Amino acid sequence: MVFNAQTMLVIVAAATFGLFVGAIPGLTATMAVALLVPITFYMDATPAIAAIVATSAMAIFAGDIPGTYLNIPGTPASAAYVGESHRLALQGRARETLGTNLVCSVIGGLFGTLVLVFVSPSLAEVALKFSSFEYFWLALLGLSSSIFIAIGSRLKAFLSLLVGLLLSTVGLDMMSGAPRFTFGVPDLMAGINFIPVMIGMFALNEIMGFYASRDEARSVPAMAKDSVFREAPRHLRAYWRNVLRGSSLGTLIGALPGAGADIAAWIAYALGKSRSKQKDKYGTGHIEGIVDASSANNSGISGAWVPALVFGIPGDTITAIVIGVLYMKGMNPGPTIFMEGGGQVYALFTVFFVANLIMLPLGYMAIRASKVFILTPRKILMPVILMFCIVGAFAINNAVTDIWIMLLIGMAAYVLARNDFPMAPAILGLVLGGTLENSFMSSMLKSNGDLLAFFERPISAGLGALVILVWLLPTLLKGYRRLRSPKTEVSHDTP
Amino acid sequence: MRDFLLGLLFAIGGGVVVAVASTYPTMPTLQFGPSLFPTIIGVGMMLGGALLALTNLTAMRAASRDTRGLTGRYDIRGLLVSLVPCALIVFYIVAAETLGAMLCMAISMLVLMQMRGARLWLSLVVAAVVSGAIVWLFSQYLLIPLPEGVLLPQLTLAG
Repeated sequence: MVFNAQTMLVIVAAATFGLFVGAIPGLTATMAVALLVPITFYMDATPAIAAIVATSAMAIFAGDIPGTYLNIPGTPASAAYVGESHRLALQGRARETLGTNLVCSVIGGLFGTLVLVFVSPSLAEVALKFSSFEYFWLALLGLSSSIFIAIGSRLKAFLSLLVGLLLSTVGLDMMSGAPRFTFGVPDLMAGINFIPVMIGMFALNEIMGFYASRDEARSVPAMAKDSVFREAPRHLRAYWRNVLRGSSLGTLIGALPGAGADIAAWIAYALGKSRSKQKDKYGTGHIEGIVDASSANNSGISGAWVPALVFGIPGDTITAIVIGVLYMKGMNPGPTIFMEGGGQVYALFTVFFVANLIMLPLGYMAIRASKVFILTPRKILMPVILMFCIVGAFAINNAVTDIWIMLLIGMAAYVLARNDFPMAPAILGLVLGGTLENSFMSSMLKSNGDLLAFFERPISAGLGALVILVWLLPTLLKGYRRLRSPKTEVSHDTP
Repeated sequence: MRDFLLGLLFAIGGGVVVAVASTYPTMPTLQFGPSLFPTIIGVGMMLGGALLALTNLTAMRAASRDTRGLTGRYDIRGLLVSLVPCALIVFYIVAAETLGAMLCMAISMLVLMQMRGARLWLSLVVAAVVSGAIVWLFSQYLLIPLPEGVLLPQLTLAG
C-alpha cells in the first residue's frame, strides 16, 4: 500500500511542501497541513495520510533553518532553542547544528512512531487520566521552569512571563464569556494568536536590531569545514541520553490532548538544562540544548497521533485536522480502528517510518541549499524577511489586527530584549496561559472552590509536589552551598 | 536608569491592569471570575516592577556622579533608524488598500535597501521580483486575500 510510485511521489512532494512552508517565519506546520486537506480529497486513504505525516514532520524540522541562520524560528516548535542554534551559527557551525538537528528530529520521529506502533493503547489510557487538575500543575510546572532556565535576572524573566500571561488573557473569558482587554476591537474577541506575537518577538525585534546597528557584523560566517553530518555521530555518542529523554518526553507530551510539539520542545529544553553537567554553557551556543528539544518536537508529532487514533481525541492542532481526514477516508478513529481497518492502520505506521526516513536526504539538500542565507547580504535579506513577516502575520486570520499586534509586540520586545529581558518566558506564558487559567477555573468549579482538591488525585499531587520543589530549589541549593562552603574553606586551610 | 524606568513602567502598567480587571463581573457560583487571573498578573507586575525600580535606584545613586557616562550610552540615531521598519509596517497597513500589497511591499523594500546602501538597480530588481513573487505565492497558491489596491487594476484597465 505504501511502496508504490504514487504514494512515494506524494511523500516526496508533501515533504518538499512542508520544507518550504516551515522555513517561512509565520507559516506553521498546522497551516501546511490545513492547506493540504483539499488536495487529499482526491487521494486514496494511504497517500492522503502519507502527505499529512510527511508535511508536518518536514515543516517542524524546516522551522530550524531560519532559526539557525537568522535567529527567527520558522515554526513555534523551534522557538525553544532558537537562541542556542543561532549562537552556534554565529560561531560558523550552522550546518553542523542543522545536521545534528536533522538527525535528532529523525530519531525523535522514529522513536515516536515505535511508541505509536507498540504502546499506543496503553499510553492513550494514561493520557486520558489527565483531568483539569493535572493540566493545571503541568502548565504551572512549564511556566515555573521557564523562569529558572532563563539566562540572566530571574526578576526580569518573571516580568517577561507576566507579559506573556497578560497577553493570554485577552479575548472572551472561557468560563463567563466576558470580554477582557479587547478595547472594542472585534478581532481581539478570539484572543491574541501566538504566531504574530512570535513574529514580532523574534523577527521584528531582530530586524530592528539590524537597522539600529551600523554594520553587517551580525551575519552568520561561512566555514569551509562546516559539514552537515560529520559531527552528528560524535554529538549523538555524547548526548544519546538526551536524545532518548527528549524523544520519550516528546512522545508523552505529544500524547496529552492539547499539548503538542511546541510545548514538548520547551519542556524538553528546560529538563535538558536542569539535568545537564554543563548548565553554564546553555545560552552560549551549546549543542546539548538542541539535542533534547529537536528530538522532542518531532517525537511529539507521532505522540499526538496516539490519542487521535485510539480514542479519536486530537493530541494537537494537526491531528485535529487529521481526524477529519480519517473520517473522510472511512478510517473511523477509535479502539475498533485496529480491528476494522487493520491493513490501513499498518500502512499508516509504515508511512510514518518512510516519512521520517525521507527527511534525511531531503533535509540534507535543504541544509545545503540554505547557504543562501549566508551568501545573501543582510541589507537585501532583511527587507525581504520583513515583507514575509507582514504577510505571514496577516495570513493567520486574514486580519490587519494581527499585523498591528506583530508591530506593537515587536517594538515592546525590542526595548525589553535590549535591556536583557529574556523573551522565552513571555512566549511560554502566552502558550500556556490559557491552559493554566482554564484548567484552574474548571477545577475550582468541579471542586466548589476547594483548593485541596488539587492534591487529592495521585498524579495531580505528584505534579503539585514537583512544582513546589522547583520553586524551593534555589533556596534549597543556596542553603546546601552555605552548609558546604565552611567545610571547603577548612579543608583548604588545613595542610 | 533604563531598568529603573522599565520597572516604573511595569509597576504603573500592573496598576492599570488591576484597575481594568476590577470592572469585570464575578461568577455566581464562585467568589471570583474573569478578573482573578488579570488581577494576579497585575499585582505581580506592580510588585516585580517596583522591585526592579528600587533595586536600580540604589545603583543609580551610586553612579549619579558619572551622569555623562550614563547618558553617553544612548544611541539616538540607532533608536530612530530602528523605528524605520516599524514606520514602513504602518505605511503598509494604511496604504495597502489603496496602493495594493505589491506596490506597498516594493516601496518598503526599496526604502530599506537604500537605507543600508544597496545599489539602486539591485534594490529595484529585488523589490519588484520579491514583491511580485510574494503576492503571487500568497494570493494564487496559498489563497490569502492580499489587498489588490485600486491603483494597479485601474492602470491595467486603462492599458
